[in-house]
Amino acid sequence: MSVSTSDNARQTLRAFLAKYSILLAFGAIVVFFATASPTFLTPTNLFNVLVNNVVMLAIVALGLTIVISSGGIDLSVGVSIDMASMIFVMLLAAGYSGFVGVGGGLAAALVVGALNAILITRLKISPFLATLGVLFIGQSTQQLATSGGQPIYLTSGYAGDQFNAIARTALLGIPTPVIVLILCAIAVYLLLHRSVFGRYVQAMGAQPGVAWHSGIRVPRELSLVYVGCALLAGITGILLSATVKSYVPLSGNAFLLDAIGATFIGTTLSRERKPTVAGTLLGVLLLAVVKNGLLLIGWNFYWQQVGIGLLVFLVLAASFGLRRASH
Amino acid sequence: MTGISKQFGVVRALEDANLEITRGSILGLVGQNGAGKSTIIKVLAGIVKPDSGTIVINGQTVGTLTPASVEKLGVHFIHQDRLLVPTATVGEAVFLGHELGAGPFVNRRAMERRAADLLKRFFDMELPAGTLVKDLTTAQQKVVQITRALAQKASVLVLDEPTAALVKREVDSLFAVLRRLRDDGIAVVFISHYMQEIEQLCDRVTVMRNGTDVGTVDPRDTSIDKIISMMIARDVGEMFPKRSVSIGTPVLEVSKLRLGGSFKDISFDVRSGEIVGLTGLLGSGAKEIVQCLFGLEKADGGSIMVEGRQLSLSSPVHAVRDGIAMLPEDRRAHGVALGLTVRENISLASLDRYSRGGFVSRDTENQAVDGLIKELSIKTPTRDALVRELSGGNQQKVAIAKWLSCQSRVYVLDEPTVAVDVGAKVEIYNLLNRLAGEGAAVLMLSSDLLELVGICDRVLVVYRGELAGTFSGPDMNSDMLLAASSGARSIAAGVAA
Amino acid sequence: MSATTLHTEIGASDEKQAAAKNASRRLGTIVVRLGAIAAFAAIMLYFVVFAPGFTSTFNLINVVEQSAILGVLAYGMTMVIIGGGSDVTEGGIDLSIAANMGLCAAVYATLLSMGYGDFLAVLAALAVGMAIGALNALAVVGLGILPLLATLAVLNVAAGMELTLTQNTVVGATSPLLAFLVSGSFLGISALAWALVLVSAIMIAIVHYTSFGLRLFAVGGHPEAARAAGINVPFYISFTYVLSGFCAAVASILTVSRLSASTPGSGELLLSVLAAALLGTVFSRRFVPTIGGTLLSVLFIGLLANGFQLLNVSSYWVNGVQGALILLVVAVTSFARGSEASR
Repeated sequence: MSVSTSDNARQTLRAFLAKYSILLAFGAIVVFFATASPTFLTPTNLFNVLVNNVVMLAIVALGLTIVISSGGIDLSVGVSIDMASMIFVMLLAAGYSGFVGVGGGLAAALVVGALNAILITRLKISPFLATLGVLFIGQSTQQLATSGGQPIYLTSGYAGDQFNAIARTALLGIPTPVIVLILCAIAVYLLLHRSVFGRYVQAMGAQPGVAWHSGIRVPRELSLVYVGCALLAGITGILLSATVKSYVPLSGNAFLLDAIGATFIGTTLSRERKPTVAGTLLGVLLLAVVKNGLLLIGWNFYWQQVGIGLLVFLVLAASFGLRRASH
Repeated sequence: MTGISKQFGVVRALEDANLEITRGSILGLVGQNGAGKSTIIKVLAGIVKPDSGTIVINGQTVGTLTPASVEKLGVHFIHQDRLLVPTATVGEAVFLGHELGAGPFVNRRAMERRAADLLKRFFDMELPAGTLVKDLTTAQQKVVQITRALAQKASVLVLDEPTAALVKREVDSLFAVLRRLRDDGIAVVFISHYMQEIEQLCDRVTVMRNGTDVGTVDPRDTSIDKIISMMIARDVGEMFPKRSVSIGTPVLEVSKLRLGGSFKDISFDVRSGEIVGLTGLLGSGAKEIVQCLFGLEKADGGSIMVEGRQLSLSSPVHAVRDGIAMLPEDRRAHGVALGLTVRENISLASLDRYSRGGFVSRDTENQAVDGLIKELSIKTPTRDALVRELSGGNQQKVAIAKWLSCQSRVYVLDEPTVAVDVGAKVEIYNLLNRLAGEGAAVLMLSSDLLELVGICDRVLVVYRGELAGTFSGPDMNSDMLLAASSGARSIAAGVAA
Repeated sequence: MSATTLHTEIGASDEKQAAAKNASRRLGTIVVRLGAIAAFAAIMLYFVVFAPGFTSTFNLINVVEQSAILGVLAYGMTMVIIGGGSDVTEGGIDLSIAANMGLCAAVYATLLSMGYGDFLAVLAALAVGMAIGALNALAVVGLGILPLLATLAVLNVAAGMELTLTQNTVVGATSPLLAFLVSGSFLGISALAWALVLVSAIMIAIVHYTSFGLRLFAVGGHPEAARAAGINVPFYISFTYVLSGFCAAVASILTVSRLSASTPGSGELLLSVLAAALLGTVFSRRFVPTIGGTLLSVLFIGLLANGFQLLNVSSYWVNGVQGALILLVVAVTSFARGSEASR
């Protein structure tokens, strides 16, 4: 009996490590950077991490969290970001008000989401290929609209003020972008984990046939998933333009891989490896902290990418590998 | 194989089990699901390692078995799952792993030709050259799988439920082939739920119960009832529990329903408290009728009424809203989501009842779910356990609980007891009786004629897209149902109630 | 004997009916395939008629040369998809292949510029490519990580290492091998074009004419069945990832020869590689990835870009048309499959 007890203990330990590997990794990384760099834990630095590295990535990743929960994927979030950014900046350049600009930008993102939704629910194309196609088309559209990818800079004047109103203001000392993130996170949390819609999303992700046989309007719910994801990406696009005071074509794609990575790192928190809002946010934080920490200890941008890749690899390996061993 | 034991966690799958397989003889292996049949076969296949016991093959004690070493010893398995690559051709499927050709290169034409020869010789079956496995019928795939083992010159052949999908003619030729192989000195192990087949084919039968072999008998001297009572330590008579309910007014009324080339002019009703059976051969249209009732297929004409209300069923969305519940044949694909919890599965179709303003109210949901878990005595650690962790019978109960939670009025069941063992079947029958007892209308599609006779108040038989007969009362028997389903009209008309 | 079940009594007429359904299904599949191929043919025909110089030998060889790099990469991807199954989220995919090529090119060019010879540099590039492939194999097969995720992480590692090595600059390179690949020719066809022909021939032989290839399809099509047939499934899947890394290394040498340098930004090829490998399935009777199908779609993508160039259409259209074509082909294919499913 003693043998099997210690076996059990080892199994429990493995299950524990598998479940909390990401939290442990996160803790270890924070401790490491805090000792390696004196500036890491300063409020200024942490604030910069939050505003510069977390907010936009987190909002995109929240959108992907919904999509991945439903069993799909959206490779075209970059297009939604870019289209929102492009229309927003163009409207401001034409002298429209900030409200019109934001509305137009979000509408552009919604068009991208609706296109995805139609391709996936009406034409029954798999989400991977549908959104891959939209990604290609979106790239062409931007190149054609900007004669090959010329950025639009609007640093000063009327548009500059509008940008500042979005990116540089604060409420109760909290910068507007952070407030936007908090609102988005709460909204996605309520939708995904507390609402009827969220339950349907989980069911579609777990077993689409069961969802259909339970009387769920699968096409309608799935459309909402992709439109919602595009909307969140659009919000990111507007924050991005406001922050850099310009529209740079094809810049949204840079978020895609990190956002997918963060969402999947987050899935290691759940026992069925389902994406969760908390897990995704933790995944984003992990990536942001590592990027910032590596920068502080003197690694350049190129080494950061290697570091991030290895880190994601190790977290995934620990989670998947330990889980496999404990089965 | 002697004294084999195997423990999985706390479950003793095998306890001192023995199995003797002899050359030139066909051994039947029977037992309920969970009795240890498949575990002992997996031990022999080298997939599961026994905790103790010895395996002697041809007088030699063998140590550890691996799938590869077993195959070298000439032991071949026809698994219950159709383990064939869907996009392979018949020739590729037959010779996979033992390809014909020179060196690293394969000779596709030779493989197709040899496969065609074997199919013709053993089963008198001819398929167009280069046919893909996925384009074959279920029965043809099974035949290809058996041909695969035959092509590799087995000395021991183990067949797990090989006839489940075969038509009579194919079963006959399979039996002829197996007898011929036996006469050639090959040892055959035949696992089946169909007792007549065991009786017809086997020289000896080993019965397993609770992880051990309870006896080996000669089926020619032993009655089927005796064998069954060895399998379940219980009287067979209890199989179909009886009930007495008063049958009320029609709940489901179908009139002149028709669908393209599948069926036409179908009219019947199911009353409150009534269990109505529906049966027909593959392709008769019975399956499509059930699908139309749940909106999975859209009927071309006719009407469906529930409690006097005309329904337009263009998708399951409407069916569920209108109080129709469906227990699909493929439980894992359509019935319950294995990756969701018991709670999430049970409330999935009725979330509107447990939510306010689009948000789920956990308390109301938990209460309802706990009530149903208790009512149906679903064996689960907690309401938040994954359905994956439950046994097949309990998963089926979760699927039923989902509709009880909806308070559906009409229950449509598509082969509810397929691949379910005897014990769980009885529980499902009891549940159906309860549903009917509470005033629901139950329509059950099934190919198991004894089950239909045992449980239903009325049985409708579909033949080539039309209702060929309605049977009820104490005189109803499976021969009548079979006659009607295969188109023997004179008989059907004679006894139709 | 009393009848207890219908399973054993199904009449011959039902079989005939099933056969008829089969036939009509197969006909539908053929129509879809021919339709897709006809659409491709129509576009080509348009170029032949309206694009000046489209059919000239010089131009066609040029397209083949341009397609060599994409082709070799797409073969690697095709192998991974064959072995891992074509389910895009759960099945085989190697997102790191283009970044891996960039890294190999950087290694190759850097070693040449440091004065090492072709032999050593080529060997190093191949070793790096296969090491990255082995890392993918370890992650997917050894640790059981979803291929999509595992190769995504490796993509970052490879891309970062390339940047670190080159500091995001162009590394010029010259060598006898490169000179031969660029200017060498045989029967009036350049060495680069021959490289594609050669690699294609080898891949077709391996994938479609050996028992190895046959078993690989079995591994991807139904892993359980492959295992039951005694096939070492983990080995086959691992092999595809290492081979994919090998293809990345070979492509890196071709790209360095074409540009006389290693340049940043090779990761952008990923989408085209995916598109080529996935589009290729439509050319196959069984709707599975094949080397021939991948070759056809690579050439098609090359010809499309070339035709646009000759017609003076902005090259910005190419991506969009490529995307629209993917959607068209897949929608039509899924339509055909859908009608199959609801039979």
